[in-house]
Amino acid sequence: MKRILTIAVVGLVLSNPAQAQPPQPDDYLHQAQALQLAHDPVWLNLLHYDRHGSPDAPRYSSQVDDPRFFLASGGQNDSAAELKATVQALFARGPDGNEHAQCRFPARAAWLQEKLGFAPSELPSIACPEFDQWRAIVKAERVTLIFPSYYLNSPSSMFGHTLLRLDPADETHSEWLSWAVNFGAEVVPGDNSIFYAFKGLTGGYPGRFNVEQYYRKIQEYNRDENRDIWEYPLNLNSVETERMVLHLWELKEIDFDYYFFDENCSYRVMELLEVARPGLKLTERFDNTAIPIDTVRGALDNGLGSGRVYRPSKASELKDRLRHIPDYLHPRIIALSHDSEEMEQAWFRALDAPMQARVIEAAYKYLRYRQVGQARDAAAAKTSFTLLKALRAHADALTREDVIAPGPPDLGHGSRRLSIGLGQAEELDYLDFGLRLSLHSLEERQYGFLQGAQINLGNFEGRLDEDGHLRLQRIDLIDIFSLSPRNGFFKPLSWKIITGLEREWIGGRERQVAHVTGGAGYATAIAPGAQIFALAMARLEHNSQFAHELEPAAGLHSGLLWHFDQHTARLELGGEKFANGVSRRRLSYRHSLALNASHALSLGLERHWGDERHATRATLRYHYYYAP
Amino acid sequence: MKKLITGAVLLGAASTASAVAPGGPNCGWGNMLFSGQSGIVYHFLASTTNGTSGNATFGMTSGTNGCSTDGTLTYGGKAMVSAMLDEFSEDVARGEGDALTAVAVAFGIEADDRATFARVTHENFELIFPSAEVTADHVIASLESLIKADPQLAKYAA
Repeated sequence: MKRILTIAVVGLVLSNPAQAQPPQPDDYLHQAQALQLAHDPVWLNLLHYDRHGSPDAPRYSSQVDDPRFFLASGGQNDSAAELKATVQALFARGPDGNEHAQCRFPARAAWLQEKLGFAPSELPSIACPEFDQWRAIVKAERVTLIFPSYYLNSPSSMFGHTLLRLDPADETHSEWLSWAVNFGAEVVPGDNSIFYAFKGLTGGYPGRFNVEQYYRKIQEYNRDENRDIWEYPLNLNSVETERMVLHLWELKEIDFDYYFFDENCSYRVMELLEVARPGLKLTERFDNTAIPIDTVRGALDNGLGSGRVYRPSKASELKDRLRHIPDYLHPRIIALSHDSEEMEQAWFRALDAPMQARVIEAAYKYLRYRQVGQARDAAAAKTSFTLLKALRAHADALTREDVIAPGPPDLGHGSRRLSIGLGQAEELDYLDFGLRLSLHSLEERQYGFLQGAQINLGNFEGRLDEDGHLRLQRIDLIDIFSLSPRNGFFKPLSWKIITGLEREWIGGRERQVAHVTGGAGYATAIAPGAQIFALAMARLEHNSQFAHELEPAAGLHSGLLWHFDQHTARLELGGEKFANGVSRRRLSYRHSLALNASHALSLGLERHWGDERHATRATLRYHYYYAP
Repeated sequence: MKKLITGAVLLGAASTASAVAPGGPNCGWGNMLFSGQSGIVYHFLASTTNGTSGNATFGMTSGTNGCSTDGTLTYGGKAMVSAMLDEFSEDVARGEGDALTAVAVAFGIEADDRATFARVTHENFELIFPSAEVTADHVIASLESLIKADPQLAKYAA
């Protein structure tokens, strides 16, 4: 109430026609103070301030880690001082041109102008050639949220990624030429993935926004990394979009602290959307982790959009094309991709024109798929060119179908999982409970996830037995299993890495051991939805009962994974032998029934053979999935 | 240097539009069809997906190496055509596609005339792409002369 009164008073003073002097910057400063603009959510968003302390005496610190972003010394931790410095700088005569606050901070300027009600003519007239030029090129009337899908071969992209695309109003424009707005860590060339992940987790890299044409992103994701892209058109209007683009300019070459889990690409994208539409609260629920797909769901849940567009990767496109070609021709396509003279052979000439066109197209796509990541090869280029000319000659006979889209990632099960179960082990009944922070296991509902990609970070299981003993059963810090069937066209390696705590029978009872286990091998499809696999494994285990507490082991891991309807069967047989002679074998079967995206039931049976004793356990669990 | 690259990426197109020097060999317009990516660049890209790999994608840039556009091509112009040469050649062979549309837009061709552009390029595939060693420079020059020679497209010639 007091505040409203103050506003009214200030408003009266400013609109008083008897007042001779036009208002000065100091008047606006008083007004800003009266309006408490330094605590306004819009201002806090524009400066990327986090709020600390009590609601009565809030303190702020900005996530921007770059002195060039602040006009007040100490502005990083002082919202009011920064606001004051900004108002003063907007009214200042200098510095001239691009470095003036009007040119560098157009979003702050626009908002202050709106709140304080000063006319543009009251400000010194400053030319901003760099900004004007940029603004003329970056045409933006609409915004699309982009989700390049999960990518197991890089720790930085396992959980997918999000970026924004700025599109012009014209519906007939080329999306390839739209602008992609990407936030990423500034990586030093030469750092490898593991190092990247480690430094990323700990904030070792500064993060920045960059803007480049979208076709480069299509090339990067669809072609170079063979990741599908999902596009979510947002309903930001042109005013909201403009606000965001003005703020984007303020972030040019500005360093943020980059953290892999929370203040990551997806978090920053959400912040931009909050700037675009004041009042949106997208980031507050992601204080601990911002899993990209959860931020996409957050945007959709907040009414920012509803539709989606699928942009298949080159590999998805090729697989889709192959579905239209009978299996017996597949080896011929591979041969043709190596030798264009196959087109002279009887088998090719026996095909009708549409099938010839399909075969040429598939062979060309397969050859180009193989060349990704390779330096230019003259022989491959020659074959490619011959196939391309043949494709042109057969273009009229080519039927073009859209690639059938898989389940969209936002409709997959929630990334966090709570479980509760009942089990029995060696005549002892127990209650079993679990929490998994993220993301997906092979036996779970596949819809919306990458096939054959198990990605679990932070899985905790506890147990309360009938004797009242409560104990930690297992922790999987990292649990990744990449299972991809090999065939004539695709020759992926299947691999697995898991590290954490688990329990093993040793010295007469189950004891906690710490381990790192990894391996690689092959998988092959035996029927639609079913594949078998075998991996050679290595393990390093810390076990208090061993003479040397740290012992290496070698082993094997094989199994069957079968998806049918809402069911998944996962049968595994494995074992290892330690350097000290200890050996173990285990057989497990897990059957899952996905009721829908939020609920599932599973039954787990395990039989364990050790040197000292054998053990069997069975657990029936209920799982609840949600997005944090 | 790192800073320089990112800044240049953000401002890439701006400097493209303003530069006047003709593109040199470093621009990547001499890029041949099926150039692919070199192993090292590719590895760097793959390992730093979310990072600002930016314009290093093909070891060429849209404007940061002193490349420029001429009057006919917009949107990063020649460097862009050069960067999507492989996709463009496939689209021309088919007679349709996103890369074909992107190049048409870059030449300023209005939506109503893009089907004509697609037909003309498709029919003249072997003129635009005479060999596997064709460079982006040749492709662009051929497109310009085809546009000039076609009665419906001639209005887009510089």
